[in-house]
Amino acid sequence: MDETKKKEQASTHKIGIYLWIWGLLFVLSFFSYMVDWYQFQGMLRWSLILFFMFLKAGLIMAFFMHLFWERYALVNVLLWPMTAIACFIFLMVAEFEYTLFTRIFYFAVGG
Amino acid sequence: MSEEFNDNKTIHAQSSETISGGGSSAAPDIDYVRPAEVEEQDLYHGHSFITKWVFCQDAKVIGVQYFLLATFTGIVGLILSWLMRLQLGFPGAAGFMTAEHYYQFVTMHGMIMVVYFLTALFLGGFGNYLIPLMVGARDMVFPYLNMVSFWMFFIAVGVLMASFFVPGGPTGAGWTLYPPQTILEGTPGSGAGILLMCLSLILFVAGFTMGGLNYLITILQARTRGMTLMRMPLTVWGIFTATVLAMLAFPALLVGALMMSLDKVLGTSFFMPTILKAGEVLEYGGGSPILFQHLFWFFGHPEVYIVALPAFGIVSDLISVHSRKNIFGYRMMVWAIVGIGALSFFVWAHHMYVSGMNPWFGFFFATTTLIIAVPTAMKVYNWILTLWRGNIRMNTVMLWCLGFIVTFVNGGITGIFLGNVSVDVPLSDTYFVIAHFHMVMGIAPLMVIMGAVYHWFPLVSGRFLDEKLGKWHFWTTFLGAYSIYFPMHYLGFIGVPRRYFEMYDSPYMTSAVGMNEFISLAAFLVGAAQFILIYNIIKTLKTGKRAGSNPWKACSLEWLTPSVPPEHGNWGDRLPVVHRWCYDYSVPGAKEDFITQTTPPSEVQNTGVEKT
Amino acid sequence: MSDPKIEGLELKPGFRGMAQDTGSDQTMFKGVHWGKAMMWIFLLSDTFIFSCFLISYMKGRGSTPVEWPNPSEVFALNAFGVPVPLLLIAIMTFVLITSSGTMALAVKYGYEKNRKMCGWLVLATALGGLTFVGMQAFEWSKLIHEGVRPWENPFGAPQFGSFFFMITGFHGTHVTFGVIFLFIYAYKVFAGHYDEGKRGWFTTMKGDYVEIEILGLYWHFVDLVWVFIFAFFYLW
Repeated sequence: MDETKKKEQASTHKIGIYLWIWGLLFVLSFFSYMVDWYQFQGMLRWSLILFFMFLKAGLIMAFFMHLFWERYALVNVLLWPMTAIACFIFLMVAEFEYTLFTRIFYFAVGG
Repeated sequence: MSEEFNDNKTIHAQSSETISGGGSSAAPDIDYVRPAEVEEQDLYHGHSFITKWVFCQDAKVIGVQYFLLATFTGIVGLILSWLMRLQLGFPGAAGFMTAEHYYQFVTMHGMIMVVYFLTALFLGGFGNYLIPLMVGARDMVFPYLNMVSFWMFFIAVGVLMASFFVPGGPTGAGWTLYPPQTILEGTPGSGAGILLMCLSLILFVAGFTMGGLNYLITILQARTRGMTLMRMPLTVWGIFTATVLAMLAFPALLVGALMMSLDKVLGTSFFMPTILKAGEVLEYGGGSPILFQHLFWFFGHPEVYIVALPAFGIVSDLISVHSRKNIFGYRMMVWAIVGIGALSFFVWAHHMYVSGMNPWFGFFFATTTLIIAVPTAMKVYNWILTLWRGNIRMNTVMLWCLGFIVTFVNGGITGIFLGNVSVDVPLSDTYFVIAHFHMVMGIAPLMVIMGAVYHWFPLVSGRFLDEKLGKWHFWTTFLGAYSIYFPMHYLGFIGVPRRYFEMYDSPYMTSAVGMNEFISLAAFLVGAAQFILIYNIIKTLKTGKRAGSNPWKACSLEWLTPSVPPEHGNWGDRLPVVHRWCYDYSVPGAKEDFITQTTPPSEVQNTGVEKT
Repeated sequence: MSDPKIEGLELKPGFRGMAQDTGSDQTMFKGVHWGKAMMWIFLLSDTFIFSCFLISYMKGRGSTPVEWPNPSEVFALNAFGVPVPLLLIAIMTFVLITSSGTMALAVKYGYEKNRKMCGWLVLATALGGLTFVGMQAFEWSKLIHEGVRPWENPFGAPQFGSFFFMITGFHGTHVTFGVIFLFIYAYKVFAGHYDEGKRGWFTTMKGDYVEIEILGLYWHFVDLVWVFIFAFFYLW
């Protein structure tokens, strides 16, 4: 690989995109802070928290970590293993509900 | 300092060249291979003894270091199993043995064999030695990190062995380290022992991550020209997938070990429920012991395949070479390896059917467990179909491979028993389980290791291991291992529980006494037979028959280095260029019964060679 | 960072490109430096570590019959005599996102071989990280002062303290290591190691500005984890 090709590859993005994402992250963090400030409760609170969380995480990964510009081979290698995590999460939700049920059933109700 | 580096002398010559050297010839060049994408690696060449053999950055030396250290821990594990069998077969024969000692030996035997022996040997040993050679790289992509990886493993083993000498001895909680009893008083080694175990595991995971990153990225990003993923030997596929599993499964172990240490040191209650001890409530409370089991088995089940997949890969290559046939269904084999790897993250709680988890999980995990048997069975059929009408060389390597297939089928079938909830419940925690997993992930991978040692020893040392000793070694091990584990299935059926120090004279156990003695005698014999290999290696290094280059007439790259054994940098002046897969054996019309991966198509025109 | 140019290979976009890359020889991630690929895989493994932590936290919090403390009150800070919920956490988030932004720009200027700008931005990132660690130390000491311990706390379930100290501690360790490396790399940028291709002290590998991108990936990952910790631990 000679010098000119290296330069070509290193062509970077305009500074504007980074500033935009930077600003968006501040705004989204502010919004998620407001969720607590106004003391939303219940499903509204949780869905808002998760919405802002995934949006922020997505922006950081896509633009700051350049995943948006990477080829699909890398993107897919990174994202598919998350299905194992998702499975783990869903099963552990079922598990903690069951543990809580048995605890209340045997300790509070007395079996 | 500058003479220590290659400084990329050969790059320009290489990237603009095509293989036949005739870019000018008019016909479309069938030997054309795309030029190199990246610069050649510049390597650090050690000059002193220390940089060449101790803190060495050469993956081959690191592989041998891993191999030797893992073998050392394996021998410790073997001696522990002897002591256990001595107690079980002849209670009281070892005078010093108390129940506490027995539990400690059980625990250390399990942990050593699974993590510090098999994992380190397959991935650290064979992985380091074979990956760069088989994919045509000069070394791992990050040799310095690779070196650190080995020395982390060294420290981890040191910490583990140190736990034998601390007050209270090593932990005796069983290799699964289930809380709460692991860290409660009354369990042997609940003080320093368990802490050193957790520390050692954390160090192992850290060290392994460094090595694992190297294996993965070397395979993905540093293959030689022409080496596509679907031309790689199955050995590399097996090690690759196992490393992926390790990178994603070890985190759960790390987290579990860390939380356990905090429970012990700081008195947190991650895993500790409210506990009444002698009428008093302990400080702990509110934690969830079953969480540890989930974390442990989220690591533990992929760990089974971390041990099994490299064995699958290696045995495929050995069978193919020594029956002079291409591997049957190569692509199916690759997809089976990948599929088993992916599925292994969704089956973990089949180890926990009797744990008191959410009872509905049984449906999910029994189903996924039975699904994972499908690709596994496909692999077994393909090995047999590879042998079918092959030109089988009945040498030691082939014997180990056949031994593996038989043993693995045995262990696999009992696995299907245990994967079903209703069958597992009465059988769990009996010797049936012991027999099952020793067959499937103890003896079977061990047979592959032995076969691999006999196969690749001529590459590492340049000399053949002695065949006669090898056959003695094989038959003692094979028949002996069956004498140990076949009767154990029966012991399990009559209900003998595992992890019991002594059966005493409960009436329904008396029928097992003679069998236990027999098993113990067989275990002593099989253990002793392993020293035949060590004797064989020492003898061969001095007086063995010289092998020369490519003694097995194999096609894959590791046999095609300019010097045998390969030197640092592996390939001399220029990297090999690959034109085909590594299984072109007995091609109709070809001059010889093998066509190496580097043979260009123009040399094998008018033969029945497949396009790969 | 449009698609790399590779001699003898026309790169296709999208999923067809993925099939092509996977089926081709030499490299699977076309045009990606091996060190960058390695960092990505490491981060994937690290993601599993943090996921296991957070899943354990979910399991622990979900199955305890004792009431969980209200984070909005526990982490409140008095400003001008009024308790403001999560004030410190909000500032910490602000600081970390700021440092993430400077890092992203440092990577950009690194690729443009703008030594001065790159160096100053890496240094700014390091200082941001240092501020974050300092504020976390303040937060920890405040909570410890209020009687929160890993094994107990005055607000409710004892697991609250356990998980809090463990998870933020593990994240803080990541930040601390990041800060150390940021300072080292800032020095190396200013000293021109990446312009001359000077060899690393231990690794003996030639320096290149790609190392700044690799470090940047790590730093953004730390920020990414904080997004999840912020949501699950402080807001939930």
